[in-house]
Amino acid sequence: MKSSSVFSPHSSFAWSIYHLNVFVLIAMGVILLLVSGLVLYASWRFRAIGGEGTPKPNFGNLRLELMYTILPAMLLAAIMVFTVRTMQSSDPPQGAHPDDVEVVGHQWWWEFRYPQAGFVTANEVHIPVDTPMLFGLGAADVIHDFWVPELGRKEDMIPGTHGRIWLAADRANTYSGACAEFCGVEHAWMRIRVIAQSKQEYASWLHQQQQTPALPASGEAAAGLNLFQQLSCANCHTIRGTGTSGTIGPDLTHLASRETLAAGRLNNTPDQLYLWLQQPDIYKPGSHMPNLHLTDMQLHSIVAYLETLR
Amino acid sequence: MSEISVLPQPMHDLEVEESRAGLLRWAASVDHKQIALMYMMASIVFFVFGGVEALLMRLQLAIPNNAFLSPETYDQLFTLHGTTMIFLVTVPVLLGFGTYIVPLMIGARDMAFPRLNALGFWLFLFGGFLLYFSILAGNAPDMGWFSYAPLSEKSYSSLGGVDYWALGILAIGIGTVSTAINLIATVATLRVPGMTLRRLPLFAWMSAVNSFLIIFAMPAINAAAAMLFIDRNLHARFFTPDAGGSPVLWQHFFWNFGHPEVYIMILPAFGIISEVIPVFSRKAIFGYGFVAASTVAIGLLSFGVWAHHMFAVGLGHPMDIFFAAGSALIAIPTGIKIFNWIVTMWGGTIHFTTAMLFAVAFLIEFTIGGLSGVIFAVVPIDWQLTDTYFLVAHIHYVLFGGTMFGILSGVYYWFPKFTGKMLSEKLGKWNFWLTVIGFNATFFIQHVLGAEGMPRRVWTYPDLPHWYWMNMLSTVGAFVLGFAFLVLFWNIWRSRKMGEYAGDNPWSAWTLEWATSSPPPIYNFAEVPPVHGRRPIWDLENPEHTDAKQGGRS
Amino acid sequence: MTSSEFFGNKTRLAVLLFLASEGIFFAFLITGYVFYHGAVKNGPDAHNSLDVLKTGIYTIILLSSSATIYMAERALKRKQKGFSFWMGITVVCGLVFLFGEMREYMRLLQQNVTISRNLFGSTYYTVTGFHAAHVTIGIILMGILLLLSFRGGIKEKDHIGVEVISYYWHFVDVVWVAVFSVIYLWSTR
Repeated sequence: MKSSSVFSPHSSFAWSIYHLNVFVLIAMGVILLLVSGLVLYASWRFRAIGGEGTPKPNFGNLRLELMYTILPAMLLAAIMVFTVRTMQSSDPPQGAHPDDVEVVGHQWWWEFRYPQAGFVTANEVHIPVDTPMLFGLGAADVIHDFWVPELGRKEDMIPGTHGRIWLAADRANTYSGACAEFCGVEHAWMRIRVIAQSKQEYASWLHQQQQTPALPASGEAAAGLNLFQQLSCANCHTIRGTGTSGTIGPDLTHLASRETLAAGRLNNTPDQLYLWLQQPDIYKPGSHMPNLHLTDMQLHSIVAYLETLR
Repeated sequence: MSEISVLPQPMHDLEVEESRAGLLRWAASVDHKQIALMYMMASIVFFVFGGVEALLMRLQLAIPNNAFLSPETYDQLFTLHGTTMIFLVTVPVLLGFGTYIVPLMIGARDMAFPRLNALGFWLFLFGGFLLYFSILAGNAPDMGWFSYAPLSEKSYSSLGGVDYWALGILAIGIGTVSTAINLIATVATLRVPGMTLRRLPLFAWMSAVNSFLIIFAMPAINAAAAMLFIDRNLHARFFTPDAGGSPVLWQHFFWNFGHPEVYIMILPAFGIISEVIPVFSRKAIFGYGFVAASTVAIGLLSFGVWAHHMFAVGLGHPMDIFFAAGSALIAIPTGIKIFNWIVTMWGGTIHFTTAMLFAVAFLIEFTIGGLSGVIFAVVPIDWQLTDTYFLVAHIHYVLFGGTMFGILSGVYYWFPKFTGKMLSEKLGKWNFWLTVIGFNATFFIQHVLGAEGMPRRVWTYPDLPHWYWMNMLSTVGAFVLGFAFLVLFWNIWRSRKMGEYAGDNPWSAWTLEWATSSPPPIYNFAEVPPVHGRRPIWDLENPEHTDAKQGGRS
Repeated sequence: MTSSEFFGNKTRLAVLLFLASEGIFFAFLITGYVFYHGAVKNGPDAHNSLDVLKTGIYTIILLSSSATIYMAERALKRKQKGFSFWMGITVVCGLVFLFGEMREYMRLLQQNVTISRNLFGSTYYTVTGFHAAHVTIGIILMGILLLLSFRGGIKEKDHIGVEVISYYWHFVDVVWVAVFSVIYLWSTR
């Protein structure tokens, strides 16, 4: 699994927060050392060892007290100046830029819409490297929060509102993120994968996602397609070109091109896909994906079909 | 005076014997000391609940992809843990200290309104029962202690847990407000002659300021909880987005209460520390005026910073900057206090009783929590770290490293007054070191976990680099911490029966609660010493070196 | 009376603190109303549903009861007759106000303006409902005073009890001034 540390920034936005973070951590660390040093020194130096008289009381010293009022105030003022500047650089104005990707948080998966290219995918979002992308944020049910630590700030996705943040990546890689606002039972399994690709690879990925997959004509896969249409799968899921239009669950049009299943719960292999379809309640208890009690044969057929959706 | 001596003294208080005559004596009591002890005992029971909930959560998180608990159970546990520790443990135990100690400190016979005092306690207890009754009713609340809409609305939490939560909060809120009013009226009107506001002991000062915070902060959550309850049960639309309601309004209302609530939980602990450090350093507090005034400053500022809990909402940069600056400002009066306490120790003769050990540890642990609080006032860092384990670490350094260390210091300091018996210092030191080790092992590593990307409130987690061992360490620490509390409970249990007799003033302390017997008689004082300064017992015992003669302002 | 004497009475101080807390409570409820003012685009709202004139009349009756309870208190303070009379008038004013509010509710409910209809309904009923509950409690408190005084039980030494109940009643009136201004007078578009 990929790391997701705020200390390995991979975008200009994340870098500027990182610099501020290091500065503030050092400042706070120095203060902590100062305070605990004073406390420990005083504890040792002035410990009772017997034979002392009554210590002389000291009721106050205005100059000393003003000093430790004003010095911290100056440090905080400096931090605030740095804060405001970093807010500008890590979360620059969006202007009239259209959303490059629209993210909709669902209980407990991510819908990614590409309005310009005109398709919808789920849980894994691709971006071109070194190109700031404007992400529009919304929610279908409760509040979620979109957070990919290595790429920038997080922002809440509040139903009824539309937030926007910039995201970019300076290297082709897969970045791991997660929902950061408690959103119900399976909040834990609402992981994000951001796949940053070179511009050519990204363009070919876009092109591939825009295609409508061919319908299998015969064999197990065709049986699987039939089952997909006849069982209740189609109530919740969409696969373009099959006449299905469910929107409660993720769009599965190019499911086989994704790396993981169920918002990061399982790897997308035929075996794990089989297990997931067989017992979703074991792997992601509480998920809205029902256990349809499919037979072994049905499972094999559906997996065979879904594996054709490259 | 420099020796802390324990003088055996016969137990003599007929009234105390009478008060033990039966349960009805307690249930019908309007004596501030009995009500305070009930506050504290109820808090201990709820603390055990909240603690067991925490340990179960840590067990679940010990290893990645764990299936020890179901996600539903886990969500109920963290909701109950947060609600319990805040509303049923920290606030009431501090109110318990307040209702016991404040009347004694100011030389009063009882609280201003003894029956209102009882009402406040019983409402709090009733609220606690309502919250826990939800388990018997089949569904504990599972939406988190700040109950964000619309997750807390009927569409997403259809079972009754949220309703019990809202009603429990309302009952607790009303009870807490009535006790707060009572404390202010007590401090304002029942001070013994000579005890001007400038001579008021700092614990009483902070309890009074704290009570103002309660009076002005609780209505916000009462209003919000009422609206949520109306939404859920009368199908109103306050916080349901599909009908135009705003989830963000809930957050504004909630944090209008929620941020002052943090100070409601820390100010009385500051008060305890302000009593303990001088007594065991054998020096009067340094900069009484600054300590008292900074408390008022914190109280006022605490109402202007609520939206720093909402930087991730996307309120816009101007709003964020306003609330960031306000939040940073609070660090200044808080820092003043820390330095004043250190200077009080400076040049003193420090006796490391368990009470003092906890107070000294408080200085460092709370500073860590305060500094990570400043980190959260830095908006872009908050954008990264809010709602992660860094935040979990932060609140526990404030509320455990701060408040709970203060409470433990207060327990060791005042237990002799409550019971007439000393707590075992030997067990106390075990208690202290296990607490320090367990607490830091549990929570320090969580700063790192948060920075490594682990969100809070997840019932399980994938096996990302380093997450496993860090979580395991945290779990082990939690059990050490749990064991530390077993030591405390054993200490309380055995000392109550077999502890050494405390005498009136085992610590040679200076405030008026130590001028009467331990435990005090039902009427508190046969005779209250004259008050000419901030340390009446010192003045009485050292007529040649009274604070006034030594140059203390009063 | 100096301010330290004034606040030095524990009952007076406690009730004033209580009312301050209550004031914040209503401030939040009213904030909820203001926040959603104009949120309803179609359907019943303050502009097309409320009867400003009639409620205005009931408002005047409620406000004048602040004067009558003051008269009752003054009579008690000066050991004059008339306490029961003025307190009785105050109770009647409170009851008339409640009656007026009930009629307004009935009328709205007949038009199917309910608490679950839309944001106007939710906020309107919550604010006015909590206020009406406070009026009711005030009437009960004053009713008890009235009963005690009929039994000859209220003396000048009980003045503080009467005084704090009058504070409560003035508070209820002040809250209504805010509610009426925000909900009824601000109902024009």
